[in-house]
Amino acid sequence: MSDISLSSVPRAPAPPRLIPQLFGAEPRFAALGLLLALAMIPTALAMTLDPRQFQAEAIWLKPLKFELALSLYLLSLAFFARFLPPGMTDRRGYRIFAGVVIFCVLAEMAWIGGAAMFGTASHFNLTDPVMGAIYSLMGLFAVTLTSASLVYGIAIWRHPAGLPDPALRLSVALGLGLTFVLTVLVAGYMAGQPGHLVGTPVTGAKVPLMGWSREVGDLRLPHFLATHAMHVIPLAGLLVGLLAGRMRSSRLAIWSVWAASAGFVALTLGSFALAIMGLPAFAL
Amino acid sequence: MTPDTLFQIASPLAMAGWLLLAFAPLAPRWADTLAGFILPALLSLLYTGVILGHWWQGQGGFDSLANVMALLSNPWMALAGWVHFLAFDLFIGGWITRRARTEGVSHLLVLPCLLLTFLFGPIGLILFLSNAATRRLLHPLRSEV
Repeated sequence: MSDISLSSVPRAPAPPRLIPQLFGAEPRFAALGLLLALAMIPTALAMTLDPRQFQAEAIWLKPLKFELALSLYLLSLAFFARFLPPGMTDRRGYRIFAGVVIFCVLAEMAWIGGAAMFGTASHFNLTDPVMGAIYSLMGLFAVTLTSASLVYGIAIWRHPAGLPDPALRLSVALGLGLTFVLTVLVAGYMAGQPGHLVGTPVTGAKVPLMGWSREVGDLRLPHFLATHAMHVIPLAGLLVGLLAGRMRSSRLAIWSVWAASAGFVALTLGSFALAIMGLPAFAL
Repeated sequence: MTPDTLFQIASPLAMAGWLLLAFAPLAPRWADTLAGFILPALLSLLYTGVILGHWWQGQGGFDSLANVMALLSNPWMALAGWVHFLAFDLFIGGWITRRARTEGVSHLLVLPCLLLTFLFGPIGLILFLSNAATRRLLHPLRSEV
């Protein structure tokens, strides 16, 4: 059959593609998430071309990490958006909220990227009143952008039809809600400290890839765990559903999700306590 | 006519074009005709004249970075290079504005691309192209229409 046939037979609908299928429920967050992923290319290039270091790390490493983290966060929200009540993303109030979140993400990236470009600190930078004021404002923006996970968690919990399996729905809602609560707790505390490391001496021993200190307390580890609640707990919910098999609506499955969440909260708070005490979670 | 005089003439021409592009939704015909066509054409004519009149005195060449720097160390060649930037950046700005309009992209999303193209040419272009790529990834069906 040739492509130029003039037959009036309607063409078969194109198969749905992977990216719209995964993230199409919230195209605004998906678009910014994909854009931040693309931005990692020139950032990585800048890192190889720019020899400057900041606190013994390549100066562009931090923007690169934030692009990765915020991209993952936004794409995750776009993925979970499929479980929201129908029509919610079209409502005016939601659209304004999403616009504010997107603005906050862009402002954070501009601040962190700009600080790297000019060779100065973004977080914990109180060297002059202007940078100090920007730091406080960025804290507010960070809370705002993280609040999207709480909004999603509550909306998904209140809409049983979106995710009929109660254990799985509980895990998604709890994970999203805990991402907000735990991140604000850990990051809020960290913002009041002089830096992310607690204790001395720091000679530079680090966990490979993740960069957490192996000598002193590192508040970035509990922040990492806190923020990934939205991934870990829903995965636990998925696992519970697989293990429970036919009994998946049983109370056992629900209790298992609660237990897994409690365990994850304990792990996060435990690593938080260790960091506050100045102890490394991964010693030599 | 000194290269400095021509520089003083070329820059406001480009600037006028960028202002028209920034306010393109208010006067799309003006933006397309003046900023997208006439002003880049005028700048290109200026470039052509400078090259015809002064290429003979250029040193260096295109085969190494050192030779390109030697070429641009001549004020007339530096002027030509600058007018080349102005003309091509503005033309890209006009293309971005038209393309965004046919694709129905909000001007609010176009403004950062225009600002970056004005200041850092290729960075604005890559931002616009990335936006377009993202749209295609998310709406494959719509972009095929």
